[in-house]
Amino acid sequence: MAEKITAYRFDRLDQTLSQLNKEDCAIMAGGTDVMVLHKSRRGVPPKIPKPIVFIDHLFELKQVYQNHQDLHIGACCTYSELLEHPIIPLALKNAIKTIAAPAIRNRGTLGGNICNASPAGDTLPLLYVYNAKVLLRSVNGDRVVDISDFIQGPRKVQRLPNEILAEIILPSIFEEGAHVVFEKVGNRNADAIAKVSFAGYIRINDARIEDVRFAFGAVGPTMVRSIDIEKKLLGKTIPLAEANITQVVAAFDKIIKPIDDQRSTAVYRKNVALNLLRYFLSMKQNQPNE
Amino acid sequence: MIKFTLNGRTVETDALPTARLLDLIRDEFELIGTKEGCGEGECGACSVFVNNLLQNSCLIPIGSIEGADIQTIEGIMETQQFKILDESYSIAGGVQCGYCIPGMVMASAALLSKNPHPTEAEIREGISGNLCRCTGYNMIVDAINLAAKKGDGLWQKK
Repeated sequence: MAEKITAYRFDRLDQTLSQLNKEDCAIMAGGTDVMVLHKSRRGVPPKIPKPIVFIDHLFELKQVYQNHQDLHIGACCTYSELLEHPIIPLALKNAIKTIAAPAIRNRGTLGGNICNASPAGDTLPLLYVYNAKVLLRSVNGDRVVDISDFIQGPRKVQRLPNEILAEIILPSIFEEGAHVVFEKVGNRNADAIAKVSFAGYIRINDARIEDVRFAFGAVGPTMVRSIDIEKKLLGKTIPLAEANITQVVAAFDKIIKPIDDQRSTAVYRKNVALNLLRYFLSMKQNQPNE
Repeated sequence: MIKFTLNGRTVETDALPTARLLDLIRDEFELIGTKEGCGEGECGACSVFVNNLLQNSCLIPIGSIEGADIQTIEGIMETQQFKILDESYSIAGGVQCGYCIPGMVMASAALLSKNPHPTEAEIREGISGNLCRCTGYNMIVDAINLAAKKGDGLWQKK
C-alpha cells in the first residue's frame, strides 16, 4: 500500500485543539456525511484531501447541561444520546425521532449536522427557531456565534481552521412555555433527505402572541427565517384571523425561492412550505409542549 | 496499527484509517455476512454492533473504532437470541432473496434487546433504516413479533 494518510485521534480536547492550531485538518465526528461525500468505489477508502482528526470519542464534547435557563449540548452528542438524555426538551426529542433511522442516530451528531451545513440539514430549522448559538473553541479561547451567522451557505460555515464547534446553546429554553413543531417532508420516513422542512415556535400569553418564529429548510441555500414577518404577528389574538394568516403566508411567498433538483421541484417545495406554515398558523391549540 | 475487538477476538489492522469498517470486515477478515447495499447509510445491509449499538459499517472509518467492540452477524450466530430470530424468520417466511437479512436480523436484535415487547409501529421504526427490495416487510415484521413472543424473557439480559 503506497498511499499514506495522516489521521489523529487524541484522548483529550486540548491535544486536539493544539494540533488544529498547527495544521489545517478535516474534522470528523460521526462521519455519516463526510464518508458519503468522499465515497469511492467498493473496497477503496474515501479520499479525504486533508489530514483527519477524529473527535467523536471526546468526552469534553459530549456534555449536556443546564446553565441558568439555557441548555448546553455537547457538539458530539449523537442523536440517540440526546433522545435518552433526561433534560433534552420533548419537542427537540420528537424532532430527532423523525431524523434518519436507529443506526444513523447511533452515530450522527448534532455538531456534525450543523457543520455539514446542508440546505436540508434536519436539525437546522428547529435550531434556528430556538435562536441557537454555537460555541467555538480554539487554543485562543471560546467565541459564541448565532447559528444564522455561523451557517453561511451550502457546506459553508464560519469556523476558523483552528476551531472546533464545542457546544450548541439553546438560550432561555427552560423558562418559556412555548409550543414547538417540526415537520419534515421526504420520500421515505426514515433516512430520507428532506424535500421541505419546517419548524414553528409560538408562545402565547392570555390568548395573545408573545413570541413567534418560523424557519424553513431545503427551500434555499440556508434556512429561511424572517424576523420582520414574525414581528407582524406579535400581540395578535389566537385563533388568528384569516386575514392575518393570509398576510404572513403571502409575505413568505415572496422570500421563499426553492430550486428544482433530483429530490423535488421548486413548485412543490414552495407549495408544501406555505401549506405547512398555514397549517401551523391555523392551529386552535398551542399548548406549551416544552 | 488500529486495534479493536471483532466478535470477541482482539484484532489489529494496518489498513488506512479512512478505510470503511465494511470493507475491512469483508475483505481482510473474510466475514461476508455483512453486506454492502447502498454504501450511503440508507439501506442497513451493512449493519453491525459497535459497543452494542446498531450502526452502518459503510459509514465508519476504522480510525474511529480504536478499542471498540465490534460484532457482526457471524458474532451473534451462537447466541440464544439469534436462534430465536432464525426460527422466527423461517416460520414467518421473512427471507426471500436474503440479501437484506443479516442487516435485518442485526436491527431486530438491537430493537428487541432495547424493547423486548415492541408494538407493530415500534417494530417498523426499529427496521426503518433497513431496506428489503423483495418488499417482504410484513413477513419480517411478523418474524420480529414472533421472536419477541418466543424469546420472552431472553432479550432483557444483554
